Amino acid sequence: MNPIPLSVIGGFLGAGKTTLVNHLLATARRRYGVLVNDFGAINIDAALITAQDGDTIALTNGCVCCSIGDDLGDALARLAARVPAPEHVIVEASGVSDPWRIAQLALIETGFTLEPLLVMVDATAFLTQLADRYIGDTVARQLGFAELVVINKADLAPDLEAVCAAVLRLRPEAQIVVCEHARLDAAVLHFTPPPRPPASRFSADVPDHAFPTSVWRPSGPLDRARLRTALEALPRSVLRVKGFCQLAPENRWHLLQYAAERWAFTPLDTTPEAGLVVIGTPGMPEAATLFAAVEA
Amino acid sequence: MPSTIRVFVARRILTMNASLPVATHVAVREGRILGFGGAEVLREFGTVEVDDRFAGRVLMPGFIEGHGHAVDGLMWRKPYVGFYPRRAPDGTHVAGLKSIAEVVARLQEVERLMTDPDAPVVAWGFDPIFFDGPRMTTADLDSISTHRMVMIGHVSGHIQNVNTRVLEAAGFSRDSNLDGLVRDANGALTGELQGPAVMGRASRAVGDPGILRAIDAPALWDYARIAQRVGVTTSTDLANALNAENVAALQEATTGAGFPLRLVPAMRAREYSLPEGLARIADLKRMSHDKLHFGIVKLVVDGSIQGFTARLRWPGYHNGAPNGLFYIAPSELGEIVAAYHAAGHQLHIHTNGDEASELATEMVGRAIAAHPRADHRHTLQHCQMADAAIFKRMAAFGMCVNLFANHIWYWGEQHRALTMGPSRANRLDACATALAAGVPLGIHSDVPVTPLDPLFTAWCAVNRITPAGRVLGAGERITVPQALYAITMGAATTLKMDHLIGSVDVGKYADFAVLEQDPNDVPASEIKDVGVCGTVLGGVPGVA
Repeated sequence: MNPIPLSVIGGFLGAGKTTLVNHLLATARRRYGVLVNDFGAINIDAALITAQDGDTIALTNGCVCCSIGDDLGDALARLAARVPAPEHVIVEASGVSDPWRIAQLALIETGFTLEPLLVMVDATAFLTQLADRYIGDTVARQLGFAELVVINKADLAPDLEAVCAAVLRLRPEAQIVVCEHARLDAAVLHFTPPPRPPASRFSADVPDHAFPTSVWRPSGPLDRARLRTALEALPRSVLRVKGFCQLAPENRWHLLQYAAERWAFTPLDTTPEAGLVVIGTPGMPEAATLFAAVEA
Repeated sequence: MPSTIRVFVARRILTMNASLPVATHVAVREGRILGFGGAEVLREFGTVEVDDRFAGRVLMPGFIEGHGHAVDGLMWRKPYVGFYPRRAPDGTHVAGLKSIAEVVARLQEVERLMTDPDAPVVAWGFDPIFFDGPRMTTADLDSISTHRMVMIGHVSGHIQNVNTRVLEAAGFSRDSNLDGLVRDANGALTGELQGPAVMGRASRAVGDPGILRAIDAPALWDYARIAQRVGVTTSTDLANALNAENVAALQEATTGAGFPLRLVPAMRAREYSLPEGLARIADLKRMSHDKLHFGIVKLVVDGSIQGFTARLRWPGYHNGAPNGLFYIAPSELGEIVAAYHAAGHQLHIHTNGDEASELATEMVGRAIAAHPRADHRHTLQHCQMADAAIFKRMAAFGMCVNLFANHIWYWGEQHRALTMGPSRANRLDACATALAAGVPLGIHSDVPVTPLDPLFTAWCAVNRITPAGRVLGAGERITVPQALYAITMGAATTLKMDHLIGSVDVGKYADFAVLEQDPNDVPASEIKDVGVCGTVLGGVPGVA
C-alpha cells in the first residue's frame, strides 16, 4: 500500500489555516482526512456534513474531519483504518504551537509520507506580530522549519514586500506563495505538485512552487553509522530526504525520512525499490554527493 | 419534630472568625453551625446532645484544597514509586524510594505478583531529582521485565521512563532522531521520554491511558478518603471536562451515603466553543448541591516551569533554555476571559511563568474595563513567579491568587539552579508580597503533583526551606496564623465560598479538621507534623 501524503499546516491565529482547510474541503478532488487541534473552531458548511459522531465529522464528498486529541500517531492510525482510507491527511496545528514539533512525529509513521511543512502568515498582521512582546517569538519560531510559507491576505497588506523580506530573513530556505482569502490550489500540499487540471473559470490562479529534487539510488546496503554521520552533516539547503534503503549488516529494508535535522529509519517487512529522494532549495548539492560515503 | 442539636466540645476550636477567634463548643443542626463559643453554648439552644469525643482535640475549620486533582484517587490503582513517603487511600503508609535500585526492586516485586502474563507494569510518582548518579535507563527497567511493557511516570507529569519493549512497540529506536527522546553519550536511547508528543505515543503502545483515563465514582471515593485523612473537607477538581460521563461520576460519588468531601470541579473552558461553554457552565450551576459545587471555569495559559514550558519574562530561563510557548494566544485569552467575565462567571487561570501571569492580569483588566463587575474574584492559579508589580495590579483589579507553596520544597533547589536562578528563586510563590499587596491568598498542593496535605503546604509557606536546608527568600515567609488562614478562609475566598466554608460561623457548613495539637503551639518548623485525626463534614465525624 502506498503511504498516504501528510500535510501539516501551521501559523499563528488568524493567518487563515481554518479558511484554507475549509477551502480545500469544499473544493476537494481527493478524500481528505483532516485533523484539527481545536475541534470547536472548525466551521464547515452544514450542507456539506453528512454525519457527526463525537469528534469525527463526515462530509458528502468523502472527506472526514477529526480532533487530533493527545496523540497524533493514534489519530493517524484511526484515520488510516477508515474505509475507505483518506487519500491525503491534513493536520491543522494550533495557532500557538510550533508546527514542527507535530510534523516531526510523522517521520516514524511508515504509512504516511510527510509533505511540505506549510506555515501561513497573515500579511496584514505579520510585522506587528513579530514586534509584539507576547507573541513575537512564537510567530518567528513557527517559521523556523517552514518549507512553504503562504502569505495570506496579500490584497489587504500595504507592505507586502516588507512581509516577504521578513519571512525570508527568518527562513531563507522556504518557498513563498502569496494568496488572498486563503484560496489556494491543493497543489500547495505537495513537494511535487500533481499535474494541474485544465484551466477553467473554477480553478484559482495560483503561483507555482517547485522544490528542486535529486534522486540517489544506492547500489547496495548502506552503513548505518556512516549514514547517520551523513545525515548529521546535511546542509540547511536540504529540506528533506525520504526513501528506502537496506542497512548493513542485517541488510534489512528501512524507510528513511529526514526533515529539519530530525530523522527516523523505520524497519520494513517489504522489499521496496532502493532510492533516496532529496528535496531542498535551489542551492542544494546533488544527492549522490551528499551520500557518497555511506555505502557499506 | 425539631432536628437534633449536637454540641461538639473540643479542647480548643480555632474559628478563623475575628468575632471570637478561639472557642471550645460548637453547636450543629442540620449539618450547619448553629452557635459557637464557650460552655454557654450548652445552654443557648435548650435540649442538646453533647458530643465530647474531641475533648482532647483541637478543631479548625475544615481545610480547603484550592488546587487539587481528584485523579489522585485513580493513581493509586498503580504502584507508587516516588521519593517521598505517601499515604494510600486505605491509609497505608507507602515508603519513599531513595534510589533507582529501590524503584527497580519494588517493581520487580510487583511484577512477580502479576497474574496476567501480558499485562504491562505501570507505575507513577517517580521523582529522581534528588538522586545522585546516573539517570534511569532502559537497562534498569529491562531488569524488571523484558517481555512485559514497563512504563514509569515522573511525578511532574512531563516525563516518562520506559523499557526496551515499549521503545520497540512505539517504534522508537536509536535512529528515531526526534525531539523528546533522551540519549546517552553514545547516542543510544535511554528510555526517558519528554513531552506529550512522544509520551502519548508510548502510552498508546502500552495501552494504558494513565491520567487521561476518565475518573469514576470509586476513584472519587478514594480521593475523598485521602482528603479526609489530611483534614480536607472541600477540594477543587481543577480541571475537569465536565462532560456527561464526568458529571455522572461526580453525582454518583457525592450523593453516596457518607461521602466525606465537598467537591468543587472547574470546567475546562477549552473543551467547548465559547457559546457551548457558557451554556454548559450555566447548566452545571443548576446541578450543584451541598457536596458538589459547580461554577468555576479553568483556563491554562502556559506550561510548567520545571518542564521549561512556562512562559517567562526577560531574561527567560536561567540555564538559557528556550522560552515556553503560550498554550493560548493572547487575543483568544482576552476573548474567553471577557466572555466568561461578562456572563458573571469566575475564572481560575493557570499561569506559571511571570509573563503568563502578567498577560492574564492584563486580560482581566481589559475585561473589567469593558464590563465593570465587582467581586468577580478571578484567580491566578500557581502564579509562581509574580513580583510585587503584578500582585499590585491583581489587587487593583480585584483578583485572587492561589500560590503553589509546595514547589518551594519540591522544586526550589531546581528553580534556583536551573530555571529561575538565585535572584528570582527568592520570589518563588511570594506569599508575603501577595498579602502585602492585598491579594486574597490561597496555597495549594496541585495533588497528585505533590501530596495533598494542607498543613504541609502551610509549613512550606511559613518556612520556605528546601531539601538542601536553604531558605528561599526569607522575606516571603508568612506567619503560622497567616498560613492557617490561607488553607481555610483564604482558599474559601478564592472559590467564592467564604459564605459557606472556611471559618466557624453561624450558618456555615459544620466542617472541621480534627487535630491533635494547635499548630500555633508548636515551633513553626514543626507544623507539618501536627497530627490530623480526621474531619467532621456537615456535622458527621469521620476518622482517619
